Amino acid sequence: MDGTDTGLSGSTSTLQRLDSPWDVVLWNDPVSLISLVVRVLRKVFGYDKAKAERLTMEVHNDGKSVVWTGEKEKAAAYAVALHGYALHATIQPSA
Amino acid sequence: MSEPFRRSADGIVVDLPDELRRWLLSEAEQAGADANTMGDPVHHRLLGPIDLSADHDDPLIELQRQFAVEGPLERFVATAFATVLSEDEAEEWIRAFQLMLAAAAARLAVQTEDDVARLGQEASSELTTLQAGISLLIDALDT
Repeated sequence: MDGTDTGLSGSTSTLQRLDSPWDVVLWNDPVSLISLVVRVLRKVFGYDKAKAERLTMEVHNDGKSVVWTGEKEKAAAYAVALHGYALHATIQPSA
Repeated sequence: MSEPFRRSADGIVVDLPDELRRWLLSEAEQAGADANTMGDPVHHRLLGPIDLSADHDDPLIELQRQFAVEGPLERFVATAFATVLSEDEAEEWIRAFQLMLAAAAARLAVQTEDDVARLGQEASSELTTLQAGISLLIDALDT
């Protein structure tokens, strides 16, 4: 490397970010029923009842829970699916 | 009144008074209108950004979210006076009731359990009626 700025560092960073995992975060809301949230997590992610209930209680008790981690595009699609049930979901780069 | 929703060989039988159906219809129309009003708390609640690391969501994501909110409300409006629902229609009713519930909570500035506890009887009844509908529909669908 001769130290010339190739302008690639930013692109590399962008690529790394696209490849890095993203979290789907589900936020607590005071009106959605626990039974509804469990049902939606099972329907959207295919989780078994025990996992869906554990995540739902995390949301309820801690205010939020990471309910899925993976590719950004899939994370966004899952967040949209949760919004289709009026559940408040966001996506963020995984820590 | 018999069970509001029950499974039969034909689908999910709906036994709701017309007055309640008209109220649900107005809630759905209100939720849809408010969701499309920029700056309205319902718009922010139902269509706020999902990617908090960016200034704006991808336009395609915004479009998909618009459909995810408008679709169930429109399909509920189209079937609000039906006496029997298919499984798919009943699922759309659950989505629509949830969207109406979230919209009502946003209009009432409900963000915490304490906010719910402070509501007057009429506002509280609006939320509990929708919650009851969701719960009864889930019971009927999962039977």
